[in-house]
Amino acid sequence: METSLFVQMLIGALLGLSVYLPLRCGQLSLATPGFYAIGGTTAALLSTRVGALGGSDPTYPISSVMLEMLLAGLLCGLLATGIGKVVLRLRGVYLAIATIALVEILRVTTLNQESLGGAVGIFGIPQPFNDPAGYAVFSLAVLALVCWLCDRLERNRLGRAMAAIRDDELAAACQGIDTERAKLVAFVLSAVVAALTGVISAHFLNSWNARLGNFDASITTLAFVVFGGSRTWAGPVLGGLVLTALPELLRPVGDLRLIVFGLVILVGPLLLPQGLINPALLGWLRGNLPKR
Amino acid sequence: MQDLVQLLLNGLSTGAVYALFALGYTLVFSVLGVINFAHGAVFTLGAYFTYFLIGGGAGANGLLAGLQLPFALPFWLALPLAGLMAAAVALVIERIAFRPLRAQGADPLLALITSLGAGVVLVNLIQLLVGAESYAIPTGSLGNLPAAIQLLGAQVRTVQLLLLAVAAGLVVVLSIWIDGSRSGKALRAVSEDPITAQLLGIPSGRMIQIAFGLSGFLAGIAGGLVGLSVSIAGPYFGIGYGLKGLGVLVLGGLGSVPGAVLGGLIIGLAEACVPADLSGYRDVVAYGFLFVMLLVRPQGLLGKVLPTKV
Repeated sequence: METSLFVQMLIGALLGLSVYLPLRCGQLSLATPGFYAIGGTTAALLSTRVGALGGSDPTYPISSVMLEMLLAGLLCGLLATGIGKVVLRLRGVYLAIATIALVEILRVTTLNQESLGGAVGIFGIPQPFNDPAGYAVFSLAVLALVCWLCDRLERNRLGRAMAAIRDDELAAACQGIDTERAKLVAFVLSAVVAALTGVISAHFLNSWNARLGNFDASITTLAFVVFGGSRTWAGPVLGGLVLTALPELLRPVGDLRLIVFGLVILVGPLLLPQGLINPALLGWLRGNLPKR
Repeated sequence: MQDLVQLLLNGLSTGAVYALFALGYTLVFSVLGVINFAHGAVFTLGAYFTYFLIGGGAGANGLLAGLQLPFALPFWLALPLAGLMAAAVALVIERIAFRPLRAQGADPLLALITSLGAGVVLVNLIQLLVGAESYAIPTGSLGNLPAAIQLLGAQVRTVQLLLLAVAAGLVVVLSIWIDGSRSGKALRAVSEDPITAQLLGIPSGRMIQIAFGLSGFLAGIAGGLVGLSVSIAGPYFGIGYGLKGLGVLVLGGLGSVPGAVLGGLIIGLAEACVPADLSGYRDVVAYGFLFVMLLVRPQGLLGKVLPTKV
């Protein structure tokens, strides 16, 4: 397998986690591509327009990438706090629609603002690594960090509150859980993860344009979670890895690959409503694996 | 004065398309409580069906390269036929993407995802078969009708008037059916409460099929008309309309038939009012309306407040 495909798979896994976080509180938000696009645009603008970030080395310094991630994460975190306070009052299909609208508004704005790259996009984003292997290691580190965070979140009080909201929001609220806060935290974390992924992606892809955050991307990232499962963080990671690799591995089949991809989204929920990594599988694993 | 008439007609004819589009969403939403995201693909198919039925040939890039039907129907016949074919596709979508989930009693949000998948499959199937290039349904297919007429000093394209007339006609027929006929009442009963309706002897599965068939027919007709008005811009043609249709749907109220019409006309008119130098932002109008509406009045202009389930 090519290393660059592996990097794409890791990016897919990160985006899957971004969709999974709100879904953990039962909130279907399709805003991930929007924050991903903001992250990517931030990185593209900073690294091509701010000379000081480049340093004297021929390769772009990793510390500057970290700085971009910090800034993009902060920006998206703040935005998501503001937007989330308003949008999270909506439920179910209404929230899904509102987030689709958000992503579309962002896309159209980027497309029409020359300062944000316009229809052409931003080219020549400097490279912090000479080969895909560097990106693979870096993305793997970020993915590991986010996975660890999600794992903590599944075990601590806040995370259990999120699961309770997912099962029954009203009952959770009656138990004294601050449902607004838990949902907002999940939404903001989701935005930050998407933003960080966008920064990595912008450098990796070398160019950035408005098409990267469109409605198709909403569908794709959602599919990662549907396929892998949203009960635990391992599901979206697996979904992101497999579904990103699938169309590439199917490339010999030519134009059929996107059809196969669509079929996975179409048939997946019918065969495995809970995703590949579901409670039944986890229970089976627990019963059959030696105790730690 | 003539500018105003021009603006009004441009807005209304665009709005009519949105209304037809949103009606399809609304019919399905009212009986199932789910949005059919494959609706945009059905609309696209309607445009292609119309194109081929009037004798158009496939381009060089798909598997069907060079294909042309052995007959060429007049537009008047091709359009309703394309609508029926689109309805058949919508029924297949219901069978594959919706019915199995309903039988399992799965989370309705899963149906949103399967319908997205169905849409992706359809759009890429079109691309595979006829390529990604755009096709034009020639305005000449309207026969002896002039391309444009003078109306109160404004130059109005016949296609725009046709769009308005067909949309208005379909809405009127649909409203009469829903309010007046036995099956229309059954449809409303199912949308109020599917379980009670079932207990009262209304075959809710059948009513859901009717809703899907009708929504497909409306989308097919809308697709054919828009294909005639502007050209069919490739397999992804319907997706933009599909997303804007959501704006229309939310503005008017999810599940409300008059709401879909009102929402469509408002957004069509609002888009027509966007000045030319800001035309790039025209697409934001629908989403802006959607957003404000969701925050101020989520049930939409004419929708009902849904009771919170305890």
